[in-house]
Amino acid sequence: MMRNVGGVIVLSLLLVFVQLAAGESFSPPGTPKNIICRSPEKETFTCWWEPGSDGGLPTTYALYYRKENSDTVYECPDYKTAGKNSCFFNKNDTSIWVTYNITVVATNALGRAFSDPVEIDVVYIVMPNPPEEVTVTVIEDTNWPFLRVSWEPPEKADTRSGWITLIYELRIKLENEDEWEVHPAGQQKVFNIFSLRPDSTYHVQVRCKPDHGFWSEWSGTTFVKVPDYFPRERSMWILIAVFAAFIILTFTFIWLSYMKIHNLKHYVLPPVPGPKIKGFDKKALKNGKFEDIFSSLVVSDFPPTTSNYEDFIVENLEVFVPEEQELIMEDSKDLQDDSIKSENSTCDNDSGRGSCDSHTLLIDKGGGDKEEALQSDQEGSQDERVPTSPEEVMEEDLLACCDEKNSPDISEKVKFTPSLISPLPRYNLMNQPNPPEIGKKHCLSDSLLNPDSLPSYFTQPPSTKNDFRSNPWECNFNHKQHPLHPQTTGKEHLQVQNEISWVHVDRTEASLGVQAPSVRSTEYVEVQRVSGGNMVLLHPVSAGQENSGTMSHQTEHYSRVKTVNNDSGLLLLQKESTGEEMGICLSEEEVESRATSNGYTASITPTSEKPMVGINSTLPILDDRMASGYVDTATMFGLPTY
Amino acid sequence: MAPHIRPVSPLFVALVCLAFCSRLSRMKAASICTNSQTGCHFLSLANLFDRVIHHSARMHGISNDLHSEFELYFLPSKNRVSRNCHTSTILTPNGKENAQRIAREELTEVILKLLLAWRDPLWHFHQNMARHHKFNNLSSNKSLEMSEMVHELRKGVQKVAEKMQMLGIISNSLGTLGSREALLASDSPEWRLMNDYNLLYCFRRDSNKIQNYLKILKCRIVPEHGC
Repeated sequence: MMRNVGGVIVLSLLLVFVQLAAGESFSPPGTPKNIICRSPEKETFTCWWEPGSDGGLPTTYALYYRKENSDTVYECPDYKTAGKNSCFFNKNDTSIWVTYNITVVATNALGRAFSDPVEIDVVYIVMPNPPEEVTVTVIEDTNWPFLRVSWEPPEKADTRSGWITLIYELRIKLENEDEWEVHPAGQQKVFNIFSLRPDSTYHVQVRCKPDHGFWSEWSGTTFVKVPDYFPRERSMWILIAVFAAFIILTFTFIWLSYMKIHNLKHYVLPPVPGPKIKGFDKKALKNGKFEDIFSSLVVSDFPPTTSNYEDFIVENLEVFVPEEQELIMEDSKDLQDDSIKSENSTCDNDSGRGSCDSHTLLIDKGGGDKEEALQSDQEGSQDERVPTSPEEVMEEDLLACCDEKNSPDISEKVKFTPSLISPLPRYNLMNQPNPPEIGKKHCLSDSLLNPDSLPSYFTQPPSTKNDFRSNPWECNFNHKQHPLHPQTTGKEHLQVQNEISWVHVDRTEASLGVQAPSVRSTEYVEVQRVSGGNMVLLHPVSAGQENSGTMSHQTEHYSRVKTVNNDSGLLLLQKESTGEEMGICLSEEEVESRATSNGYTASITPTSEKPMVGINSTLPILDDRMASGYVDTATMFGLPTY
Repeated sequence: MAPHIRPVSPLFVALVCLAFCSRLSRMKAASICTNSQTGCHFLSLANLFDRVIHHSARMHGISNDLHSEFELYFLPSKNRVSRNCHTSTILTPNGKENAQRIAREELTEVILKLLLAWRDPLWHFHQNMARHHKFNNLSSNKSLEMSEMVHELRKGVQKVAEKMQMLGIISNSLGTLGSREALLASDSPEWRLMNDYNLLYCFRRDSNKIQNYLKILKCRIVPEHGC
């Protein structure tokens, strides 16, 4: 007995010693965890558990279960079929709609561990196998092929008898993408997929789930290649094109509506500028006197020589015109539209200030408008107004000055810098050949006539304005091209240029008038102020006569401008070669008649905004004048009336 | 007298018409199918089956929701909950083989028994919930719907049974048996002892049984359509 006890003690000591020698610590097993039970077909089920630590000792696991409302404990019938740490319940052991209470026990040499009990009902733990026989075919009946996916329920799940009802779900993605497109399919076993990308490969997977249970795993990927088909996208492009066109049209209409028709017309069809031909008399064209027109085109000194260019530089232009002198300013539109336009202002370019200011003659405001109107009429475009604006400005300045009845402020009033003139090609160029002829207005006033009072014969800026205003004299001037523009050599003329475009030329003897013979050395131009300032009558005065006989001539030929119709009256001052002097403020009609009688016509259009072109057959007149020793004819240049 | 009758009489007439019309429509449906004899009947039977199966599925869904809610909010202890459902006396097949082995009449009878057994308990359950405000509005609506559905589903299954009897698929011995046992089941006071959670648990299971049995019945009788 003592030996037995001693033996046991020795053995236990040995055991402990062995354990200590081994260097391990042993412990009872850890509790099994995470018991999961699943049934693939609602007829059998399997439970898996996670073993805890084994405590270093061999541990065995056992599963015990109890059925509902029964205290009988059964042990798992099958530990092997389902693998390690599992328990398989076959059909005989499985009862549906019965609650199982399952517990897993871990046992090792040192102890036991009980897991938490799990209650399951097989009905609610059904997790079927993935669907089988997943086939994907490309249906190419139409131009737009589509995919048809079909599958079969898992073999084990008995859907035929109605025991299990499965609902399906499939997902598809392109080969290169990461995101799946999931499509629920209900209970059907066929599914169509449309809107495929041509020439690409798709991956398809299917899974299923019972009414109340878990989703199965996704089936194996099925690959399908969509062939390259021609997508009928033409209709889409046509739609897009139509839509874009519609939008463009809409915007165009909106834009058009914003732009005024007038502007649009100008924008689309810019008016053709009229021909500016030096010596070309538009008015004559209108009147049909072609011979006059073409004759005026003959310019002897064209192309202009360099010497002529100097003429265009208006350095000093002084016109001293007594205030009482009335100047009739006539704007000839023929050649230079711009000058005409500027002439529309009440002050002619040529005329001195006085003429501008003449109350009878002048409509200050109208003049400016007139000029603008003239411009617009003639040019028809706004563009040309711009260059004339400096002219207008000048004219306006002149006009302003006209109002002042001051002593001629020659330096201020009319000062034409070269810059003013030079940028006016049309005018200048045209005038170049006949610088002296070109629209120069000579406004001579009584005071002017006096040689004393004409300090500005020579290149002095005419203080025309002041003079003109009070001048009963008429200033004749050729605005534009007019051949009547006689410039006498050696004679200095007072030339009042209201318009910048006017070229003050004339110091030289060179006869200006290509168009017209240099009728006179000094040319006095009667400026008739036309109502509204559109028309300016220029009476070239023969140079030779000027000095001496200017006075007389003047007396003879200058006439006062009585009245100037505001509307469009042109005052034509006609001077007969005979010396009669007619200061006639004529209405348009009168003017015309007179003009015709004298051999020239001055057409005045009383209607507003009608360009008036006074075409004067200057040549013949000049000739006449010349014959008489001086040129009295007042050439009327059509002024556009408004 | 006359003024009272006047507003009432058209209403009365309308009601009568409605009743007759409904009857007529039903008869009409049957008369249509008489032309093509068996196909039409089976088709209509399948249709009926589909309707009752759909109805039972919906009922089971509601019971499942209520049970989950109860479990979530009231957290009953899971230890040893007695699952003594009062319908345990009704023998029901608890496996697929058993369900397939059982006769159609028995299966139909089981279904009807189950449905009858739950008519009163569910009604009282709903009353209980409404009175004690244990559920929110949504859940109390569900309980009401659940009790009504049991009632309607039972009628529907009865109709199916009549149809099958008419077609000769099942024998005519159904009526009396079912009702007697069902009455017994419903008279037992056991269900009054169940607490709410148990009641919901039991009903959830029984509604699942009903749905499953109906499906089995359908696939056994009219397997062509969706089985």
